[in-house]
Amino acid sequence: MKDFCRSVRRDILNIARTSGHGHIPSCFSVVEILCAVYGTIRHDPKDPAWEGRDIFILSKGHASLAHYCTLARLGYFDLARVAFFGGFGTDFGCHADRLKVPGVEVSTGSLGHGIGMAVGMALAFKIRKSDRRVYVVIGDGEANEGSVWEALMVAHNLKLDNLTVIYDNNMSHGRGLQIMNPAEKLRAFGCRVEEASGHNVAALKKALARPSAAEEPHAIVAQTKKGYGCHTMICDPYAWHRRCPTDEEFTRLMEELDEEAF
Amino acid sequence: MRKRFRETVTDLAAREERLVLLFGDVSVYLFKDFKEAYPQRFYNIGICENTILSVGAGLSAQGFIPVMHTITPFITERSYEQIKLDLCYNRFGGNIVTCGASFDYAWDGATHHAYTDLAILRLLPGMEVIQPGSEKEVDVLFRSQYANGRPTYFRLSDHPHTIDTEPVFGKAVVLRDAGASVTVMTAGPLLGDVLEACRDLPVNLVYFHTLKPIDREAILRFKDTQIVVVHDAFGLYEAIAEVPRLRMTYHGMPDDFCSCYGKLPDVRRSIGLDPASIREFLKKTTEKQND
Repeated sequence: MKDFCRSVRRDILNIARTSGHGHIPSCFSVVEILCAVYGTIRHDPKDPAWEGRDIFILSKGHASLAHYCTLARLGYFDLARVAFFGGFGTDFGCHADRLKVPGVEVSTGSLGHGIGMAVGMALAFKIRKSDRRVYVVIGDGEANEGSVWEALMVAHNLKLDNLTVIYDNNMSHGRGLQIMNPAEKLRAFGCRVEEASGHNVAALKKALARPSAAEEPHAIVAQTKKGYGCHTMICDPYAWHRRCPTDEEFTRLMEELDEEAF
Repeated sequence: MRKRFRETVTDLAAREERLVLLFGDVSVYLFKDFKEAYPQRFYNIGICENTILSVGAGLSAQGFIPVMHTITPFITERSYEQIKLDLCYNRFGGNIVTCGASFDYAWDGATHHAYTDLAILRLLPGMEVIQPGSEKEVDVLFRSQYANGRPTYFRLSDHPHTIDTEPVFGKAVVLRDAGASVTVMTAGPLLGDVLEACRDLPVNLVYFHTLKPIDREAILRFKDTQIVVVHDAFGLYEAIAEVPRLRMTYHGMPDDFCSCYGKLPDVRRSIGLDPASIREFLKKTTEKQND
């Protein structure tokens, strides 16, 4: 799994460098989460519209490059298609378009939307008495949006135990509105909550494999670091939020990815 | 109109299993029989308009046909981005059906007045915008559009007109073509007052229940006349004005809030949209035109 995640991070860096786009630290924050989710859910890269699939939604849509690179590594499409990331005419924009990218269930970008749509899909499966599940990743910054908490209240009220919310707690909002106690808040909003290291695929998979059985939505607070994998970015995530590396920086960041500590 | 809406939806639900109702704690009592008959297809989501729309989009993504219903300004103005992105951009179809058109809640003040909804929703790609004026139009147009896979807006009113039209989605109704040099164009329930206002005036009269798509053909038929748009909301004038080189005037909303409370006729009178004021405006226009 470490190899898979390292490869995805390399892909992200490569594409960010050549395209000049990418929220690299936000992407690095969710790599293990994506790996764990796709290692858990029912899906078929060769048949993205398979009717028995579980649903995954990246509500924090600005980490789309991490999603694309993960989907490519899983075999949804050729990574070469992502190379022109964010360029005119590409299918792979800085926020995903569901009509263009196989495996992307909803188009996200503006924060606080994906989770509400996830609630609707979970409700759809309940109405149909289907055992399909819905997984949605939200960011801690995204949780500033009131619509996130509206959606959680509704999910609880509708007893959607087929919904798993993964809260990417990369502490990105120290300069703004940082939510300091997400597990407590999610619990207060009616979720069965557990916490896991967001960079430990095995721990995440363990948490994902224990969905609620008590008519409550399931929430996992994934403790993550913006820029995880590159020491330089962890140290100064704000500077790197929308930045792409120069050639020199790129070489150093690639070396950091290979360091033993990671 | 709400009762007609209930009857139409209840009738459709019997054979359309994909129909799911999402309400914002409004009209819930009115639909108690529906809820009893179809408990898995009626949800009073709560007073959270953003989430009603997002949940509707999610249901639509999985093959259901959502009907999202609450008070006009809250689900259109507050939740504009959910309509724009979750429904329109994602290409998830669904029906937004609102109550509280224009000044139906006159007494509640400007927070509950709604006159921008038609104009702003018209701007969204792929959106259909319908302002039924009568109960028949609610029934016919809902049946015609609810399952077409596109986002459709239906704006209900508690003050329908009783003029019998043969509504066809996207088609204007030419109520009077007198070969006159002035053409009055209006939409929705206000038609009753407009008809009364221009009963014996030398004007043509064109009526719209569909604002998007707008019936350009009907507008072009009167392109050489002076067009007077009489409407108690924004949106119709702008839609007609997209046809180039028309001579148009607007008799409708002021650039101000209406903070006078009262009942619908009181507010209409205060902004010149009662039959007498409309008539006065039209008389002046026709006299000027025929000078």
